[in-house]
Formats: sequence, structure tokens, C-alpha cells
Amino acid sequence: MKTENKIKKSGLGARASRRISNTIIYIVLIAITLTWLFPFFGILMESFKVNEKGMDGELFPEVWGFDNYIRLFKETDFLKWFINTALMGIATAVFQTFFVLSMSYTLSRLRFKARKPLMNLMLILGMFPGFLTMILIYKVFSEAGLTMEMAPVGLVIVYCASSGMGYYISKGFFDTIPKTLDEAARVDGATRMQVFYKVIMPLSGSIVIYTILMGFMAPWGDFMLASYIIHENSAGMSVAVGMFEWLSKTMLNTNYTMFCAAGVIVAIPVTAVFLALQKYYVEGVTGGAVKG
Amino acid sequence: MANVKLTNVKKIYGKDTVAVQDFNLEIADMEFVVFVGPSGCGKSTTLRMIAGLEDISEGTVEIDGVVVNDLQPRDRNIAMVFQNYALYPHLTVFENMAFPLRLKKMPQDEVYKRVVNAAEILGITEYLTRKPRALSGGQRQRVAIGRAMVRDSKVFLMDEPLSNLDAKLRNQMRAEIILLRQKIDTTFIYVTHDQTEAMTLGDRIVIMKDGFIQQVGTPTEVFDMPVNLFVAEFIGAPKMNAFKTNLVYEDGKYYVTPYGAKIEVTGKKADMLRERNITSREIILGVRPEHVNLADKADASAIPCTIRVNEMMGSELHLHVVEDNGDKLIVRIPTVSLEDEQRKEMVYGSTIYITFEGKVMHFFDPETNENLLT
Repeated sequence: MKTENKIKKSGLGARASRRISNTIIYIVLIAITLTWLFPFFGILMESFKVNEKGMDGELFPEVWGFDNYIRLFKETDFLKWFINTALMGIATAVFQTFFVLSMSYTLSRLRFKARKPLMNLMLILGMFPGFLTMILIYKVFSEAGLTMEMAPVGLVIVYCASSGMGYYISKGFFDTIPKTLDEAARVDGATRMQVFYKVIMPLSGSIVIYTILMGFMAPWGDFMLASYIIHENSAGMSVAVGMFEWLSKTMLNTNYTMFCAAGVIVAIPVTAVFLALQKYYVEGVTGGAVKG
Repeated sequence: MANVKLTNVKKIYGKDTVAVQDFNLEIADMEFVVFVGPSGCGKSTTLRMIAGLEDISEGTVEIDGVVVNDLQPRDRNIAMVFQNYALYPHLTVFENMAFPLRLKKMPQDEVYKRVVNAAEILGITEYLTRKPRALSGGQRQRVAIGRAMVRDSKVFLMDEPLSNLDAKLRNQMRAEIILLRQKIDTTFIYVTHDQTEAMTLGDRIVIMKDGFIQQVGTPTEVFDMPVNLFVAEFIGAPKMNAFKTNLVYEDGKYYVTPYGAKIEVTGKKADMLRERNITSREIILGVRPEHVNLADKADASAIPCTIRVNEMMGSELHLHVVEDNGDKLIVRIPTVSLEDEQRKEMVYGSTIYITFEGKVMHFFDPETNENLLT
């Protein structure tokens, strides 16, 4: 009897302690989530305020409306900046994906003498902050006419030029695809290029999408390098630079709600691209390829 | 359909890791050759060199008289089946099998005809629209074989194709490969570590160890006349018993004297010893477990042993026994030859008396491990 009671007690104890620890974990997680989401929610609410010309300290608008959005497109060059950034995003996504995936596949599959040193070199170079080269890049680009209104082209070149150095994640993914698939395809009559796009690419949906997303998002968030190369030329501005220029010329306090509306609009394409592509994130696509 | 010739082929990994060396072999058109050996013996490496998946460090590989050393795998006109199937997971069974044909830009109706034909031979027609992940191991391996079959390749390479299957399926697929071979007129090179597969499938077997060929021969040749102790122990299951003893030449007759017993060498083996003028000497005696017989206690040829393990296999009994000085031997007795009483007595710790079949013994040099009769 005694042992039986002990077992029952310990069973109850375990269940209770699990419940308590779960409760604590959930409370912490919910707190973190709310803290993280609150600024976004705040910006969204601010953007719907009407006739507000500054920070009023209230979370919800007194009067709801789209005034800020309408003014944004009427009173500023926001549409131009938005199109600039979107085009840069698309171009960067295309070229960067090509460079990153080719580089990663090469480093994953081909064995050549400089492979290890090259990988180490790129790892070390990647540790230096990018803006170290800013002055030089500006010099070169201004000579080549890739600043001011031509800045978007110049910026795409900057975003893509060294993108191959970000090979780690996709290489790690390619390393998980069995090499025998490449070998089987090569014996079946495929060239290395055919192996890459007929066998490896279809199996790498998630990593291709990831790389595209990273490329598309780069220009939306870049401010430092972009502002340097665009150099106050409205025609070549990206949203980040444009909004800052416009704020620095007007009063932050007076245009705050409009600024928030711009922030919401910038979030739309990135979110849309992500939502559209995420269904292609198919996990376990390699199931059944080789003996597990 | 092609002959394959390997001349002085050598493979070195890095600076000094030698995987294969002095590999010389001519494989005739339509021949089925099996490379067999323990893991790390270089058999797969050799196959991969023929396929073009590994560089050849030295020597030449010829397919149909053309040196293929510098040709890409796709230019060698070979087909290959891999141990882990290597099916393309994003393609259906049909598309998997059609893959090599599509790369050749073959017309659609020809592709269809060939794939369906191969699928019928392999019995996988009903799975053609499935993806590989929805297939069992045996079905996947059939698809892999099908993908290799649809092309009219000169050489058919198989790298341990049955190793990932369970024992029952392996036996079944082995039989299917034998049947398949009669349907496809091509040269086969098959790699395995399983001596049963090697013996049952191969016209000729190439036994390898540490990168060197040990022996090339038909299954009967390598079984009856192994060139050295390694081959003798590798081919045949359970493996051959081998131990040091003396060969005695007395009054024109040969005897072996293991563990104090005296057993006469008879038949062809005695003739061969005589032809080679071999006199009394120390040897390693090799006796296959099936050539160990039960003996009467009173016989001069009887060796007393203690039973350690008794494995009842159904049609035969495998006894692991220990001789008085600690040598371990394996005895294989057909169960039909045993009375019920006898079988009951064969338990752990009991003593049995054994002797060796005089006409099928093997004699090896204790220093070189080479067969004295080859």
C-alpha cells in the first residue's frame, strides 16, 4: 500500500510541477511577444490618426482615417522612393540569389585546392563592417556616374557584388542533400549545370526562397550606405533615405503620423512577398531520396 | 555491350593514402563480374573510377577499346545503381526512370515505350505515378535498377545495390538480378561485401583486400582453390577453420597431424602434393566447416572438442567448438545425418569427437599464407 501511495503521489507531483513550469514559460513568452509587437501596433494606430499633427501620447486614434496615407503620396516623393526601392529589391533578389546559390553549390560540391582558404578568407572578410569601404565605394561610383539619380543601380551593384560571401546558410543546406544524387545524375548524362538546376534546385525550394527574401529585403532597410551614395538627390532615393531626408527638413513632431503611415506601407511589400513565397517552404522534400 | 579493361590502375587519396593499386583486369563483353572484399578494400573506389566519379591516379581504364580516363561520367555510356538508391525525390517514378532519356532529348513516345517496358520487367508499373518517398525499400531499388535499364548503356555498374534491404528481400532481389541479367544483354560489374552475392551472381569474382586483387576466378575456382588464406576465409560461410599443424610425408602417403590426431590426405589433393614434391613441413591447415565430420572416440583421426555454441539453422547444425588447447573450430552438420539422441547430446559443455575430410583440405604456408597447391 505504502509504495502504491508513493507512486500515486509522485505521479501527481510530476503533473503539477509540469503544469507550473508550463505556466511560467507561457507567461514569459507572452510577455516577450507583447513587448515585441507593441511598437508595430503603435505605428499602425498612429498611421490611422486624422488631424493629428504630432505625438499626442494616445495609443488609439480619436478619429480614424486614411489622411496620412493620402498626404504621403500627395505632398512627398514617396511613390518615387517606393518604386526605386522595390526595383532595387527585385534586382538584388535576382542577382544575389544567382551569386549566393552558385557559390554555395560550388563550395559544397566541388573540391579544389583553394576551397578551404577561400572559405576562411570570406569568413574573415565578412567580419569587417561594410561601411569601412564606404569612402572608396563612393569615389569609384562617383567616377563611374553611379551616384545621385543613378544611385539605385550603384546600390544594387554594392548589394550583389559581395553577396557570394554569404554562402554559409545555403552551403549548409546543400551539404545535407546526398552527393549520390549528383553522382546518379552525372552518370545519367547530366552536366554539372544540369545537375544544379534539374536536381539540386527543385530540392532546395526553401533555401532559394530564403535567399530571394534576403535579397529583396536588403534595400528596404539600408540607410547608411544608401544615404551616402544617393546624396540628397530625390530622384534616386530609397524609402529609408527619402523618409529621413524629409523628416530632417520638416519637423518630426508635426509629421509623425505621416511617418508612421510610410512605415506601414514599407512593411507591406516585404510581408506580401514573404506570405506569397512561404507556401513553397516545403519541409522534408528529400524524403525517399536515399535510404534514411 | 562492351568489354572493360583496367591496366595498372592505382588510386591515391591525398598525398599517400593508397586505396587501389596494381589493378589489372579484363572483363569480357556480356560478362558478370563481382568485386568482393571487406570494407575499405578498394572495391567501390575501383567501380567509381570506372564510372568516372573518381579520378584515376595512375593506369588506364578502357571501355570498348577507348581510354576513358579523362571522360566525364555522362560521356562513358554507363549506367549505375547506387547502394542508397539515389532516386530524385521531386520526380515521380516515371520521371525518375525517364530522366536519362530526357537528358538525351529522346522523343516522348520512345521515352514512354522504354520506361513502361522496363517497369513491366521489374513489376513496378502500378507505381509509375508515385514519388519515391511513397515506395518501400525494395520498390525503390527496382526503380533505381529501372533507371539504369532504360538506357542502352555499354556497362551496367552496381554498387552494393542490395545492402540496404532486409535479408528476405535481399534474397528475392538477388534472384531477380539473376533473371534480369538474362534479359539485359550487357556487361555487369557488381560490387558487394557479401560473399553469398558474389558466389551466386558472378561469372567471375574479383576478391580484393587492402587495395590489391587477391584472386580472380569463377565461384568454383575461388571456393575450391583459394590462392591464399584470406580468400579461403573470406569465401564460404561459416568461414573456413584454419590452424597451424604439420604435414607428414610417410611411406608415399600424406598425413596431417592436428591436435594429436593423424588424418590421411586423400584423392586429388594428395596427388597434387606429390606432384609438387612437397615433403613433411609445418603448414596452416584449412578445413571448411562442412568438411568436418563426426568421428568415433576410438579412431586415430578423432579430435576431442568441447561444444561452446550450438546454432540450430534448421537444415543444418552449426557447432562452435573448442579444442583442448583453446583453438576454436566451427562444425557444420546436416541435421538429416543426426539421430534425435545425438542431437540432444550436443549441448553446451559436452564433448564431441571430430575429424576432417581428407580429400578437401587446404594447405597454406605459415609464413606467406599462400596456398601450397596453387
